[in-house]
Amino acid sequence: MSATSNTQEASSRFLELCNIQKWFGGVHALRGIDLTINLGQAYHLLGENGCGKSTVIKIMSGAISPSAGEIILESKIYSAMTPIQSLSAGIETVYQDLSLLPNLTVAENVALNEQLVSGQGRLGRLFDRKRLKETSEKALATVGLPSDGAFLNTIVSDLPLAARQLVAIARAIATRAKLVIMDEPTTSLTRREVDNLIRVVERLRQENVAVLFVTHKLDECYRIGGNVVVFRDGQCVAQGPIEDYTKTQIAELMTGRAIDSARYRTAKPLDGELFSVKGLSAAGVETMDLSLRKGEILGITGLADSGRNEFAMAITGVAPARAGTITLDGRQVTIRRPADAIDHGIGYVPEDRLAEGLFLDKSIFENEIALILTRLSNRFGIIDKQAGRETAARLSEEMRLNTKNLDLPVGALSGGNQQRVLIGRWLSIAPKLLVLHGPTVGVDVGSKDTIYRAIQALAERGIGLIIVSDDLPELLQNADRILVMNGGKVVAEFDAEQATEDQLYRAMLTSKLETAQ
Amino acid sequence: MNTSRLEELKQGTAERRVFSLADLVRRRPETITAILLVAICIIVAIANPAFLQPSTLVDIGRASVVMGLFALGVFIILAAGGIDVSFTAIAAFTMYSLTVLVQNHLPGLPIAVILLVATVGGALLGVINGLLVHHLKVPSLIVTIGTQYLFRGFLLSFIGTVWIMSLPPQMGAFGRLPLLQFESANGATITLPFYFLVLPIAAFITWWILNRTLMGRAIFAMGGNANIASRLGYDLKKLHIFIFGYAGALAGLAGIIHVCANRQANPFDLVGTEINVIAAVVLGGAKITGGTGTVLGTILGVLLIVVINSVLVLVGIPSTWQRLVVGVFILLAAAFFVTRQRKK
Repeated sequence: MSATSNTQEASSRFLELCNIQKWFGGVHALRGIDLTINLGQAYHLLGENGCGKSTVIKIMSGAISPSAGEIILESKIYSAMTPIQSLSAGIETVYQDLSLLPNLTVAENVALNEQLVSGQGRLGRLFDRKRLKETSEKALATVGLPSDGAFLNTIVSDLPLAARQLVAIARAIATRAKLVIMDEPTTSLTRREVDNLIRVVERLRQENVAVLFVTHKLDECYRIGGNVVVFRDGQCVAQGPIEDYTKTQIAELMTGRAIDSARYRTAKPLDGELFSVKGLSAAGVETMDLSLRKGEILGITGLADSGRNEFAMAITGVAPARAGTITLDGRQVTIRRPADAIDHGIGYVPEDRLAEGLFLDKSIFENEIALILTRLSNRFGIIDKQAGRETAARLSEEMRLNTKNLDLPVGALSGGNQQRVLIGRWLSIAPKLLVLHGPTVGVDVGSKDTIYRAIQALAERGIGLIIVSDDLPELLQNADRILVMNGGKVVAEFDAEQATEDQLYRAMLTSKLETAQ
Repeated sequence: MNTSRLEELKQGTAERRVFSLADLVRRRPETITAILLVAICIIVAIANPAFLQPSTLVDIGRASVVMGLFALGVFIILAAGGIDVSFTAIAAFTMYSLTVLVQNHLPGLPIAVILLVATVGGALLGVINGLLVHHLKVPSLIVTIGTQYLFRGFLLSFIGTVWIMSLPPQMGAFGRLPLLQFESANGATITLPFYFLVLPIAAFITWWILNRTLMGRAIFAMGGNANIASRLGYDLKKLHIFIFGYAGALAGLAGIIHVCANRQANPFDLVGTEINVIAAVVLGGAKITGGTGTVLGTILGVLLIVVINSVLVLVGIPSTWQRLVVGVFILLAAAFFVTRQRKK
């Protein structure tokens, strides 16, 4: 009996990492990782930023070599793999940055690699356009994207982000993959698209493909099921069926400390209206009304095309409103550009902090004072560095940044700390209203905790906060009220203390269903 | 899948099927180059009907060959996200050393072998560029500025500085070999030289490599984002060696044709015309940042510059204005491409 089960296990065993070590200069990033991947299984690799998850993925995909240890791939032993070795063994990776080639067409992005890999990376070969078309059509249909000629020939940089994410996934399944690694595949997908992705994963598993997710979204892990692998400080601290662990246990394993999953919001809003909007309309937003009290936290959610993003950009001047009035502190204000919003004390922390918010190769200090340069400089335009440093130090303290070295480039910080630098920068203008767009996208559990505490502290100081987010537990834990938008309008309003995720989700979809019927 | 977003995508692609000039220009920027070229030809033809004479057209064809070969090489490197300014030095080096070699040591070498040696020699110098760019991990602009000085310095210091006025006979004969010959209205003989054929053949081969081989698609992939391409398994070293070797081969060939056509070998020649060639490629719609462009656009860009250079005189504008006009065109075309992209 045991012999048969052993051979079964051996036949389904695909990839094994044995005591993998990795040093980057003096940093010991991986301290002996052992991990087995069996075909047809789903794995969720969890851990805080900087725990070594990305390093392990890069080793599996051949992008970097381990410093020590062995990789056993289909019974062959390697000390390191090249990308082509890894790809031709059937390991496909959907990187967080998607790794799409922006200047090539959808079809080329999806299916060109299949031809490269099947020829072992040789380039002096004919390019088979017919096969390109067939392979990409099939893969695109699987992930639910159109597969007509016009879409195949669209240049990838012309696509919206969510479609790009699906194109990247289509590329991973276009080959005869045996292991698909997905690094945070759902960050820019709406719930519907995530549901679709989960179906794709299910189909892959039935075809005996292993799937490895790297994610911060625990809810999705439970919906997909399978095995969980938890990393902390370059070591594997837990491994096993996900049903054996509760969310709180996983969070504790990741951070090494107990995390409170209860509501962060304990205070009540102050008296007096801070901010109101009447009849506001913009591209994608139809006559919105809303009002916000001092120290109130308002959550706004909805599908990606519900108008929530456009609303946030309208009140912050990023994409100004066409009509309507905005009142702040009892005075009507006009906001045509981001600079107007800043002058009135309205801050906007965008969702894509890397592209829209931070100067990654500049120091924490320079990033923190970016908005108050005029205030810091004298009449000859010379910046008072000392005052700037003091401000930056105060802001970092307030945001509980985990480093005291203000000269560190922001690019060297983890996602959670980058987000704290960005929020800290807005505090420098002493804002009355802060609009946070997806404040914890791509941020680990431990950093989420500090960001939430910081948000609550801001509200207690009387600052009004609007959080636009997909992360429903985040809104339920932090907000006073939650508005659900759909088709450019507010379709429902909930008291965050009473509401449930299910109610919110249903409200997000309701009018969609109505129009569909 | 979010149905509404799917529909949006479908609608988007449906809209794209409707013909619109703006979209055509965005997808095929060389349309602008073609329009400019036709417009100039029409204006010049109206101002001076002499332009339409076969002799002018033959002149333009003849003048495009060397620049066109250079431009194809620059284009393939630009498509891969690099830039090359050493190709004129490679051309000067190969053409002069080879002429000296044939004249002094191998007077009987057939012209076909001379052309082959020039191409291979150019390719070898190009491969040096490719290896340096790959292993030093320095931007190709810096590397090729360095090798331009190096190749040219080596040529002038060790090979020679003497202007060779009498070529080996087989080279002179190749320069005069006619492809087409006819008499114009005023009785002069007009010759389209045989070497003109080299340009369309090289253009076709370049087009074929870029669009019909994996190497070609890999070149564009590297031009889109070299880090990502490497992660996806494209061998950047092979790519660097290939693109710089190919551009070097074209430069070597262009150099020897230049010698045969002008019936003299001047070691101080060619170097200094790089910007003209790069301008032609950029006017042909290739982005200086890489990853885009077409062979057709490159050829149109070359024709545009050659036409401007040769017709200004015909309409009575001093030839010193050439640079001015080319400069204005580059700025106009660039502004046009950029505003089109922003509107999208």
